Amino acid sequence: MSEQKYLFRLYIVGKTANSQKALANSKRLLEEELPGQHELEVIDVIEHPVWATQDEVIATPTLVRCSPPPVCRVIGDLSHREKVLERMKIRVPSAAH
Amino acid sequence: MKNVLVIDDDEAVRSAFQLALEDTSCVVTAAAGGREGLAKLRENEMDLVFLDLKMPEMDGIATLRRLREWDPKVPVYIVTAFADEFMEPLQQAAEQGFEFELIRKPLEREQIWEVAEAVLGAIHLAGAGGKRG
Repeated sequence: MSEQKYLFRLYIVGKTANSQKALANSKRLLEEELPGQHELEVIDVIEHPVWATQDEVIATPTLVRCSPPPVCRVIGDLSHREKVLERMKIRVPSAAH
Repeated sequence: MKNVLVIDDDEAVRSAFQLALEDTSCVVTAAAGGREGLAKLRENEMDLVFLDLKMPEMDGIATLRRLREWDPKVPVYIVTAFADEFMEPLQQAAEQGFEFELIRKPLEREQIWEVAEAVLGAIHLAGAGGKRG
């Protein structure tokens, strides 16, 4: 069976410090938790506001797990690693001790 | 307690923020325009600001520019519809290095709570009967 590939989208605003922090945190987290199994698209809401609406993003920065289901979202700079993992449902619960 | 400032010319929006955060550890201060909002910011240190983009007299971008002279660090969420027609002034502000985030209009109570919690950390008051616990 082939490994699942996860698709994430990170919605940010320009190159603000908070956006860059969210980008760095999401890259690090995904590379550590899903090495070789993920794709991360970075979208500037100012350039693509309609995409944010279509992905039901209500605020920046937001990380969206687009596939595989379930689709889920977490708002913030993604510095709370455990919270992000829990909300993104990308860690087997029994492994977290 | 966390101090939250809401700057919006629409009384219904100001009330929506106050209602959404009434059973939390947030103290919400409301201002009906940019000048009033800046005055409130000078009176009290704020932990989070929600700032309407489209306001008469002093709009959200003009308010943001003045606000950043006073407080370069407070998180500011500009409240706007996510549509191309509103993005040009935001693009200019971002390119000039102004720090802000965006929150989409219209907003529901739960969404206001969610964003406030994402920025401020846990805001639920024990025994307050909020939706989250």
